[in-house]
Amino acid sequence: MSSHNPNPAAPAPMPSKYGLQRKAPNEIKAPSGRFFRRYGGYLFLLPYLILFFSFLILPLVYGFWLSLVDYEMLSPEAPGFVGLDNYREAMNDSYFWRAMKATALYVGMAVPLVIGLALLMAVLIDSLPEKRQGFYRLMIFMPTMITITVAGLVWRWFYHSEFGLLNAMLEPLGIWVPWLTDPNWAMRSIVLMSVWWTAGVPLVILMAGLKQIPTSYYEAGAIDGAIGWRRFVYITLPLLRPILLFVVVLTIIGSFQVFGQTFIITEGGPELATRVIMHYIYDTAFNFYRMGYGSALSWLLFVVIITFSLIQFRVFRER
Amino acid sequence: MLQLRLPQLKRLFLLALTAAMVGIGLSGCGRGGQDQVTIRFWNGFTGPDGRTMLAMVRKFNEENPDVRVVMQRMAWNTYYNKLFVAGLGGRAPELFVLQTDAFTRFQRADFIQPLNAFIEGEYGLDMSDFDDNVIETVLHNGEYFAIPLDAYILGMYYNRDLFRRAGIVDEYGEPLAPTTREDFLLAARRIRDLGRTELGDTWGFVFAELFNNLYGIATQFGAEFFSEDGREVTINAPENVAAVEFALSLIQEHRVAPPIEAMDSWIGFRQGRVGMVFQGIYMMPDLERQQTLDFGAAPIPTFGPQRGTWMGSHNLCMSVGLDEREAEAAWRFMRFLSDNSLDWAEGGQVPVRKSLRETERFQEMYAQSQFAKQLEYAQYVPANVFVFEYLEQYNLALERALRARTTPQQALDEAAANIREIMRRYGITPREDDAT
Repeated sequence: MSSHNPNPAAPAPMPSKYGLQRKAPNEIKAPSGRFFRRYGGYLFLLPYLILFFSFLILPLVYGFWLSLVDYEMLSPEAPGFVGLDNYREAMNDSYFWRAMKATALYVGMAVPLVIGLALLMAVLIDSLPEKRQGFYRLMIFMPTMITITVAGLVWRWFYHSEFGLLNAMLEPLGIWVPWLTDPNWAMRSIVLMSVWWTAGVPLVILMAGLKQIPTSYYEAGAIDGAIGWRRFVYITLPLLRPILLFVVVLTIIGSFQVFGQTFIITEGGPELATRVIMHYIYDTAFNFYRMGYGSALSWLLFVVIITFSLIQFRVFRER
Repeated sequence: MLQLRLPQLKRLFLLALTAAMVGIGLSGCGRGGQDQVTIRFWNGFTGPDGRTMLAMVRKFNEENPDVRVVMQRMAWNTYYNKLFVAGLGGRAPELFVLQTDAFTRFQRADFIQPLNAFIEGEYGLDMSDFDDNVIETVLHNGEYFAIPLDAYILGMYYNRDLFRRAGIVDEYGEPLAPTTREDFLLAARRIRDLGRTELGDTWGFVFAELFNNLYGIATQFGAEFFSEDGREVTINAPENVAAVEFALSLIQEHRVAPPIEAMDSWIGFRQGRVGMVFQGIYMMPDLERQQTLDFGAAPIPTFGPQRGTWMGSHNLCMSVGLDEREAEAAWRFMRFLSDNSLDWAEGGQVPVRKSLRETERFQEMYAQSQFAKQLEYAQYVPANVFVFEYLEQYNLALERALRARTTPQQALDEAAANIREIMRRYGITPREDDAT
């Protein structure tokens, strides 16, 4: 260990109020040398950085490169640089716009429903005695733990309009719903299932957020007459905002990437009404082997998600 | 809240690390020694067929101590892209299964080893034992690219209880499976008229799956999807339109079938609420497990001017670039599967070797032998490089037509136009473009 002072201009240790001397920074023993002191932190980051670069940044950059070439695995022609042609094709591709529309429809229905329901249930469960909260939280969280393949197959049977469970239960009421056979209904059915399947995670996060709000605020509020609905609007909601933002952003990003539900339950049907953008990307790249075009579509989705996320951060920013 | 203190975390971490290292070590050693050849065998047998195949793999491994076959199963709908990517990366399994419709794509991509040297070799195989219409799908310029293992044929399952209740029986009171359009409609109508069960309405027929049901019917009308040279799209020709119109009439005019559902209507048959259904032979184990259902099996009735139905095959393919020992072992396993395809047939398949179908053992497999009667005239869908893309268009047209959102003619016209567009992208010039 060298006793060499890296910063000779540093002032000498000052005696403190109680006569104790604070040690100058260079007197604290570091494991080894200057290099480690300066870059040691990065060493701890290294495992993550390696994964981050090799599985996120690299594929992202490579994907962008792919989106600029005409890479069709089965085409007799060799892949060539085509510039923005893939993006131009997307703009004129009616299937792409249909997929975008289907995705927007899903996001527009699923996000408010999931968040609204999760918030409602979080507040309701939170008002229960502590002992019983765990049970309800678990019940609502449970569907999330089921893999989408299993959940999807079961719901597919529920939804069968002729031989399924739901219509059999609704029949005494004289209701018959074309759950998955009508292009207008199919997305609603997917959303309904998704709410059941995905509401658990936001619920748990929101409940944790509720627990962080000090009870003293409620007590003080109660004195000023903030009870019931007002208590929720003026105390709970503002204090929950950072958590809510987090949950909303997460849910929107997740919803744009919806895939499993439609892939299993409707296979994109009927008449492609539920073929969302992820599904179309999957079909394009892995069933039709159009890697270049598929990458371009992925990048377009990426841009949409980033845009939406930025807008939300702006909207929710603390004023 | 779960709280871990540092020493606990450290211990956990060490434990995980040890477990991981032991895992790596174990997988590195494996069973057996250096003298054993490992053959990786990929397929999509994730259903009950997977259990049958696993039993066959075990038997082979026992009888051949110098070879170790390792089977990997994945669902068909993601299987091909995994196989394709593995092949591109040079990590293809030594042996894999291709369904007939996917065969051309992989063959064109030069993934498959021609087998003539093995077929004509010392431990060879008599190819004349295979059915001509089956073997020609794997024959390319005189070279055999695969050994077909089976044919999964579309046939008719019918509910014998409902047939008896509707009085569709012969002089001995035995249910009588229809073979003509008239008999089929009569049976379907009478079963529909049985009315409600405790679970709901009874139907004469249901479209269990759109694509294979409609393609099966279309072949009876003499329909072709493409011209012989593959450059002309004939999916909207009168024969195809007639087939779709007939299917639509079952729902709209005759009202013997419920509106189409994309999938899963098979459940209706299992619930005992459907008289007849067309499905592949591979669904048979599903029915056999259900003892409450008295089902019969028969060829599908003839609706058009000729007999016809849909079929597909599982083809055993060897990867290119194997060394001599691997190739020899892989071939031995392929022959083993082919020679023992009666074991395979037990699980709901039809063997494609005539000598095996003639055995008493096969004749005793009820549904399999009934469905096998159709083998000589059953048809595969045309396999080309854009097969999945044109099938998507076909499916879309069927959905639109059978939901009466447009006429069958219009739906198929649209499909034809879209398929031509796909062909152009693949560098194939549709005949329509010749004039311009």
